[in-house]
Amino acid sequence: MKWATRAGCHIDRATCAWLIRRFIDSDAAFVFVGDPAEVPADATPFDMAGAELSHHGGDCTFETLLRRYELADPVLWRIAEIVHEADLDDERYDAPEAAGFDVALRGLSMVCSDAETLAVTAPLFDGLYEYCKRAALLGRAPS
Amino acid sequence: MDGTGRWVLLAYRLPREPSTPRIAVWRKLKRLGVAQLADGLVALPLDARNREQLEWIADEVVEAAGEAAVWLAQPASLTQERTLVAAMAEARAAEYREVSGAAAVAQGADATERRRTAARLRRELRRIAKRDYFPPPERAAARAALAALAAESEEAAAAPTGEGAR
Repeated sequence: MKWATRAGCHIDRATCAWLIRRFIDSDAAFVFVGDPAEVPADATPFDMAGAELSHHGGDCTFETLLRRYELADPVLWRIAEIVHEADLDDERYDAPEAAGFDVALRGLSMVCSDAETLAVTAPLFDGLYEYCKRAALLGRAPS
Repeated sequence: MDGTGRWVLLAYRLPREPSTPRIAVWRKLKRLGVAQLADGLVALPLDARNREQLEWIADEVVEAAGEAAVWLAQPASLTQERTLVAAMAEARAAEYREVSGAAAVAQGADATERRRTAARLRRELRRIAKRDYFPPPERAAARAALAALAAESEEAAAAPTGEGAR
């Protein structure tokens, strides 16, 4: 399936692309557009103003995807808290990791194309998933 | 229009009731440090993040049965822009002064309270810095007041038998 989002990926779009590829559509192809009007007819838009898979009711797009695709995995919801705070910074959740991810993604977007950002961050989010999973099992930070 | 910068504006109107979305939107705008140009019209210096944040808020307004539009704009005169910048800098200056004041008050407290206050004010400074687009001189004063408070609580922690330790 083809998915479209805005160019200049930050944390929400990068983690959404990772989530889509790992948990929703393993054959996902991504296109990056400058304006919602440029979304190809056969692509599903996400994290764009006016799109269904976007911010809703104070949720960021990553949270919207978890709801729409009924992904109840608590590890993904923990990651959602980090994404939400890195993206919106409204202190809805306690996610001290958010500040680090915000800086890392902002920096990457300065030196990488969107495709490169997704390629570089995929193993990072795989690692984050594993870390959050172990933390949930242990009930404390894993070493 | 030469010489003036680019701004992102949010024009919005929300129904008076229910008040919850109105308050939620207002809190978010306040957190972003917007300049209020008129009733239902706010502005931020244009960058990717500010534009995106205002676009999300516009969506939220529409979801709450309101009307909203995001515009990119340039003040027609330098004077107009300077007035806007001065108002924003003064709003932040007031916030920095509060931090300086709280740090000064905490100097008289015991070591635990000083440490706690220093941690709280550090978080508060970080929040203010994120919406501080035109840093006023008060920023340096607030940082210095916080550094002094933090240094003093560090000293107290390093000398547990000393005066002021618990």
